[in-house]
Amino acid sequence: MKIVCMVNGARRELDVQPLRRLLDVLREDLGLTGTKEGCGEGECGACAVHVDGRLVNACQMPAFQAHGRSITTIEGLGAPEAPDPVQTAFVESGAVQCGFCTPGLVMASRALLDLKPAPSAREIRAGLAGNLCRCTGYGRVVEAVSRAAGQPAARAEAPALDTGPPVPAPDDAVQVLIPNSVTEALTILDSEPCRIFAGGTDLMAAFHAGMPLPDKVLDVSRLEAITGITMTPRGVSIGAATCYAELLNTTEVTTHWPALAEAARLVGAPAVQNMGTVGGNLVNASPGADLVPALAALDGVVVLASARGERRVPVANFYRGYRDPDRRPDELVTAVELARPAAGLRQAFFKAGTRRAQSIARVNLAACAQVDGSRRLAHVRLVAGSVGPTIVTLQKAMDYLEGRSLDHVGLVEEARRLAAGEVEPIDDVRAGAEYRRAVLGNLVGRFFAMLQP
Amino acid sequence: MKVVGKPLQRRDAWDKVTGRTRFLADIPRDGAWCGGVLRSPVARGRLLRIERDAGFDWSQVVVITAADLPGPNTVAMIREDLPLLADGEVAFVGQAVALVAAPDRATLTAALTALHPVIEELPPVLSITDALGAGTVIWGEDNLIADYTIAPPDMAAFEAAFAGADRIIEGEYRTGYQEHIYLEPQGVVAVPRPDGGVEIAGSLQCPFYVLNALARGLGMERDKLVVRQTPTGGAFGGKEDYPSVLALQAAVLALAGGHPVAMLYDRHEDIIASTKRHPSRTRHRTAMAADGSLLAVDIDVVLDAGAFTTLSPVVLSRAILHAAGSYRLPLVRIRGRAVATNTPPNGAFRGFGVPQSIFAAERHLDRLARELGTGPLALRRRLVLKAGDVLPHGQVLPEGGAAGSLVLERAVELSDYQRRRAELDEANAEAAGRGDPLRRGIGVSLIHHGAGFTGDGEDRIATVVHVRGEADGAVTVLCSSVEMGQGAETVLPAIAAEALDLPLEAVRYHQPDTSAVPDSGPTVASRTTMVVGRVLVDACRDLVEQAREHGSDPRAVWSARAAAGEPLTGEGRYQPDPDIRWDQEHHHGDAYPGYAWMATVVETEVDMDTLEIRPGRVTAVAEIGKAINPVLCVGQIEGGLAQSLAWGYLEEIRLDGGRYLNDRLATYIIPTCLDAPEFTVELAEEPSPRGAYGAKGLGELPMNGGAPALAAAVEHALGAAPDAIPMTPDSLLAVLQKSDREGRP
Repeated sequence: MKIVCMVNGARRELDVQPLRRLLDVLREDLGLTGTKEGCGEGECGACAVHVDGRLVNACQMPAFQAHGRSITTIEGLGAPEAPDPVQTAFVESGAVQCGFCTPGLVMASRALLDLKPAPSAREIRAGLAGNLCRCTGYGRVVEAVSRAAGQPAARAEAPALDTGPPVPAPDDAVQVLIPNSVTEALTILDSEPCRIFAGGTDLMAAFHAGMPLPDKVLDVSRLEAITGITMTPRGVSIGAATCYAELLNTTEVTTHWPALAEAARLVGAPAVQNMGTVGGNLVNASPGADLVPALAALDGVVVLASARGERRVPVANFYRGYRDPDRRPDELVTAVELARPAAGLRQAFFKAGTRRAQSIARVNLAACAQVDGSRRLAHVRLVAGSVGPTIVTLQKAMDYLEGRSLDHVGLVEEARRLAAGEVEPIDDVRAGAEYRRAVLGNLVGRFFAMLQP
Repeated sequence: MKVVGKPLQRRDAWDKVTGRTRFLADIPRDGAWCGGVLRSPVARGRLLRIERDAGFDWSQVVVITAADLPGPNTVAMIREDLPLLADGEVAFVGQAVALVAAPDRATLTAALTALHPVIEELPPVLSITDALGAGTVIWGEDNLIADYTIAPPDMAAFEAAFAGADRIIEGEYRTGYQEHIYLEPQGVVAVPRPDGGVEIAGSLQCPFYVLNALARGLGMERDKLVVRQTPTGGAFGGKEDYPSVLALQAAVLALAGGHPVAMLYDRHEDIIASTKRHPSRTRHRTAMAADGSLLAVDIDVVLDAGAFTTLSPVVLSRAILHAAGSYRLPLVRIRGRAVATNTPPNGAFRGFGVPQSIFAAERHLDRLARELGTGPLALRRRLVLKAGDVLPHGQVLPEGGAAGSLVLERAVELSDYQRRRAELDEANAEAAGRGDPLRRGIGVSLIHHGAGFTGDGEDRIATVVHVRGEADGAVTVLCSSVEMGQGAETVLPAIAAEALDLPLEAVRYHQPDTSAVPDSGPTVASRTTMVVGRVLVDACRDLVEQAREHGSDPRAVWSARAAAGEPLTGEGRYQPDPDIRWDQEHHHGDAYPGYAWMATVVETEVDMDTLEIRPGRVTAVAEIGKAINPVLCVGQIEGGLAQSLAWGYLEEIRLDGGRYLNDRLATYIIPTCLDAPEFTVELAEEPSPRGAYGAKGLGELPMNGGAPALAAAVEHALGAAPDAIPMTPDSLLAVLQKSDREGRP
C-alpha cells in the first residue's frame, strides 16, 4: 500500500504493508529510532508520538491509518540546539535516568501541555499515566512538567494532508477497504466477511501477540457519520467510532451521564483514550470492559446497521456468552443511544483495577437509582464487569431493591448478599473468585452509602 | 570542592530527551540474521528428541542443539551447572532447547514453529516447601544450592537462652517474585570475525562477565572475543547475569552460520526467559525474658533459586548478612538456604537478597513491638545499631559508620511521624463511625545496606581503572563500569574532574569495551561510585605523577605526549585494606567496607471496600557518606523506593505448573505516574574513609526500605498485620479473614 503522510513537517510517501505498525514504519523505514518499543501492546508508552496533534501509541496504530496524517516524533519536537521547553525542563529537573522511556514521556508531556497549559499535579500525573518509567519513581518527571507549564511548543506541528485514499499494492498481505459512507461499508459487509477496524487498541496488541492477520480489513475509523456525539431530543447518540477522550471532553456527557464519563476516564490512559472507541469496546466484548457496564446501566441501546436495515439491541442483552456479541457478520455497530436520565437519577461507576491507570478491572460496577421524596427506590440498575463470562446485570438485587425504601431495615446487606450470590466469577491472573464476589458486594454497598443524604 | 557535591546536569541528558541516544535496537544492523530460542514447554522432563517438520526448508536457517555446540555446553557463572542448551533433560519452563537463526523474523518464526521438542514429563518440584520436603531431588543430593550459617558467638548460651526464655516470639514472612522491567528489553548482537572470533554488542551491566562466559562456553581464547556495552535502558541487576546467556546464544549462532546474529527480545520473551528476584520464606524466633529484654534470635532464610545456581549463593550470602536488620541483638544465629525448584533460575535484582531478608527483619520487629506493647518507633529507638556495636557476623561498626539513629530521628521529624500516627488513629475511628471505607496508616522502616562486594570479593575482583591524557588537554576515564541510568557516565567523570582539578567538560568517559578498557569489575553491588570511584582517584593521581616526571604542568605534559602519539595513562588498582578480616566459610568478619543507612516513613490509604492500597506520602532520609551528585542521588532513591513499594503491593507473578502467568506488561503490573507517591528525600553525609570523596554505595539502599514501611503502614490502617508481599487485594482479604476482625469485605 502506498500512503502519504507528514512526518516531522516533511511530506513522506511510503510503501507499507497496511497492518505494519506505525512504530516499525517510523523506526525501520524512516530511521526515526527515538521512538522506542518497550512492550508492543500499548502498555508502556515508550512509542508515544503525536498524530494530528493527539498522543497515540505508535505500536497500536497500523500504517494504513497513518495515511494523510501529520505525525510528530521526538526528533521533530526539538533538538539540543533548539529544544522544546519540555525537553529543557526534563534535563534541568533531573527527570532523565536510563532514557529509554524519556522520548515517550516527553511526547506525552507536550501533548498534555498543549491541552492544559497549566495543569495541576494531579492532572500531570493523569496525563502521563500511560508512560511507564522504571528508574525515576516519577517525582522528577512531574517536577519537569510543572517547570515547563505555560511554555508553548517550540515548533508548530504540521497540519494533516488533504489527500485521497491510500493506494493498494499487489503485495499487500491484507486488503484494507476504506468506505466513504456507512452505506458503502454495509454493502461491503453484505458481500464479504471483514475484520472491522476502528481504534485498533485491542487488535494491534492481539496481532503482536500472534493472532493471525485477517484477509480483509474494513476501516471504519474515518466514517464521520459514526464518529462523534450527537444530542437528540431523547438523549444522546454516541457514534461507534467515537473515542473515549471525546466522551471525557463533552460537557453534556460528563453532566448527564457521569457514570459513563467516569468509566471512560478509567480506561487505559490518554493515548489509549485517544484511540480506543466506544464501538470497539462494545464489540470486543471483554467481560472486563469498563464502558459496557456503564452503558448497560444507563439503558443504552446498541444500534446495528446492515444492508437490510437497522436493529436495536439493549446493551444489557448484547452478549450471548464469553466474547460473543449479538452481531451478525454483515452488521456494523454504528452507535449507542442513551436516553436523557430521569430527573434525580443517581449514577456511579466503580472500578477495582490492578492499578490506578492502564488497568484491567478486577471488578467493576455501574449503578443507577432514583430516590423519591419518601425515600423509595426506583429505576435501580446494577451492572457488573469481570465477575462472569459477560457483563452481569444483577437482576435479583435490582428486583429486591426496586420500590423499597432506603430506610428498609437490612436493605443494603440484603442487596449485597443477593449481588454477590448471582455472579460466578473465576480465579484468574488478576484476582480470585472469592475476592471478586466480596468486592462486588462492597461496591453495591458503596453505591447505597452514596445515596444516603 | 568544585565538582563533587554539585547538582550538575547529566551528560547524557540532552541526547536522551531528543531521542538521539542509540540503544542497541536503534543501531543499524544490515545483514544481521535474527536469532531465536526454542524453549521447553514443561517444568521437568526427559528431552527425548527434537522433531523437525519435513515440509520446512531447513537449508535456509541455522539450527543448533546441544549436540552441535562448539564448547562445553555451559554458561559459566559461579558454577557451571546451567547448560546453554538442554541436553537429555529439561528443568524449567522456558529452558532453551535449541537455537535458530534465520535471515528474517518471519522465517525465524516459521522455523521455531516447525521444531517440536519431544519431552517425557516428570513430576516437578515447584515450591520452597516441595524442595525442602523429603520427596523429589532435582539438584545435588538435597536440592540445596547453598546452605550457610552465621553462628552465634556462644552456641551453648544461645541454646540456653531459648530453653530459659519467658516466651518465644515466632513469625514467618514471605516475599514474591519481582521482574526488573527495565524499559529496554534484553538484547545482544553477535558479529563473527574473520579470525574465527566473535564480537558482542549488548545492553548489559558486566562486560567482563560476558567475556568470561563466552571464553568458557565457546572454548575460545579471550583475544578473539570483544564485548561492547551499548547505551543501556535500565538494568537493576537484570542485565548482570542474563546477558551471558544471551551473548552465548547469539555467538554460537553467529559462528555456526557466519552471519551477524541479533537477539533482541520482545517484552514477552524477556519476561519468560530472564531472571527474577528470588521469592523467599524467612522465619524468625526471638527468645524474650519476662522483662521484655531480648535473649537470643534464630533466623532461617530460604530463597527459591530456580533450577540452576546462577548467582544464588552470593545473593543468599548478602541476604543472611543483613537478616538481623539494623538492630543490636544478642546471640543471633542465621541460617540461609537457596533451594532448587523446577522454575526459571532467579538472579540478581537490586538489593541482591537483602530486600527479602530485611523485609522479614522489619516485620518481625513490628511483631515484637506488638508483643511488648511498645510502638514500632520506640522499639527501633531502643535497639538501633550504634558505633561500637557488633553485627551478628562479627563486624564492629566504627565511629562514624552507624547512622541508623541519625536517619531514623530525622525521618521521624520530617514526616511528623508521631503526630500523624495519632491523627490517623483518630481519623480512622471517625471514618469507621460514619461508614467511610477509607482507612489510613503510617509506617516506618529502618534499613542499611553494605556497599561493594561481600567479604574478600573486592580483593578478588581487583578493580583496575585507567585515565588517559588526551592531546586537547582533556582526559578519558577507561573502565568497565557502565552507564545504565544510574549516572556512572556523569559521576565518574565528576570524580576525575575533582581529582585532576579540571572542568567537568574536560573529562570524557569511554563506553565500556573489553578491547579498550581495563576490568573495573561488574556494575553491581552499589560499588561503582564508592569502590571504582576511589580507584579512579588513584588513577588520576598516577597520571599526574607520571606527568610530573616530564614537566611542571601535568596537563601540558599529557597533552604533548598524546599529540606525539605516546599518551600517558594513569592507572589505579584496588588496594586491599590490611585491617579487613574475612572468613568466607563461616561468614565471619568485615563483610562490607561500609554501610549506608536509610529510614523511610510511608503513609498509605487502604480502601476497605476493594482492599486497594494507595501509598500517598513517602519520606526518606538516607545517609550515603557523600553525595557526589545530589540530584542523581535523590533520583536513585526515589526510583528505588518506587520499585520497593511496588514489590510490596503491585508486582506479582503467579505460576501454573512452573509457568509464569504474569508474562506481559498487561499482567505484570508496575506503577504508573498515578500510582507513585509523593517523595520527600533528604540526604545525610558521614563520609566513609573507604569511598571516593567519602561516598558510600547507594543504588540498592532504597530497595530495602519501601516494602517494610508500606507493610507497617497497611498494618496501622487495617489493624491486621500482613506478613507476606505482595499485599494484593486478594492477600489482604486473607489477612483480614485470618485476623478475624471486622467481617468485611
